[in-house]
Amino acid sequence: MTDDNGGQNMVIERSLEAPTDLVWKMWTEPEHFAAWYGPGGATIPVATMDVRVGGIRLLCMEMTTPDGTMQMWFTGEYLEVVENQRLVYTDSMSDEHGNVMSPEQLGMPEGHPTTTEVSVELEHVNGGTKMVLTHAGVPAESPGAAGWAMALDKLAARLDEAQRA
Amino acid sequence: MNSSVASAAKEDRLDETFAALANSTRRAILTRLTEGEANVNQLAEPFKLSLPAISKHLKVLEQAGLIVRGQRAQYRPCTLDAAPLEEVSTWAEQYRPIWEARFDRMDTYLQQLQQHRKTGSDDD
Repeated sequence: MTDDNGGQNMVIERSLEAPTDLVWKMWTEPEHFAAWYGPGGATIPVATMDVRVGGIRLLCMEMTTPDGTMQMWFTGEYLEVVENQRLVYTDSMSDEHGNVMSPEQLGMPEGHPTTTEVSVELEHVNGGTKMVLTHAGVPAESPGAAGWAMALDKLAARLDEAQRA
Repeated sequence: MNSSVASAAKEDRLDETFAALANSTRRAILTRLTEGEANVNQLAEPFKLSLPAISKHLKVLEQAGLIVRGQRAQYRPCTLDAAPLEEVSTWAEQYRPIWEARFDRMDTYLQQLQQHRKTGSDDD
């Protein structure tokens, strides 16, 4: 709760038995990215990745449902690119042209930030790779989300106190 | 977004929790309930809202599993259930099961790729 995003970060650390350059490719080469990113049953028919600072990514996730084929589009920009070490990009839902759409426009409950930020850090450890993922909100672009997230933090703190009392 | 039924259900529940929390009156009600149980009249007091309006909010909170309401018809005290709140203590936590599943797939895929290289298959 002491980070820059007011406690809105999620961090996952993983150890992978694979060389760091191969793990880097998992994130930066569309055919590898598509192999693991989508949920089971989904395919990633379009993944454009211009992996350089300021470069754009565009991703289509396709799912077959009883009602037909459903497509979801995601876009973003690469903010930091340090080969085999660090990758930071933004992630937003969009249309097929990469125009950002708010979660509300897409029928999701209010309170989801429009843009989130994903950062990946890789480190060569014992012949394998330590991977640290941070998924963070970007409150500046979603004042509503930041507002209620702060209220929620307060509520959680209050709850802690109540339970300790 | 997620393959297994269990995580899909979990995400649905999170959606519901988020929707319930995305309202200042409902958050204020929850905050009041951290002090102890209260009935509809007591909960309505600080707000310029009618009892039916408050009841509507309580129904949303109840459906999201954030509060539990007593069964006595006249006095149905509400109590807080903190379990769903813990899951959304930060909104970003909702992405955790999604990423965990992705990394499981990445792990498997990496093993397959490397196995492929080791056995020297020529069809890659």
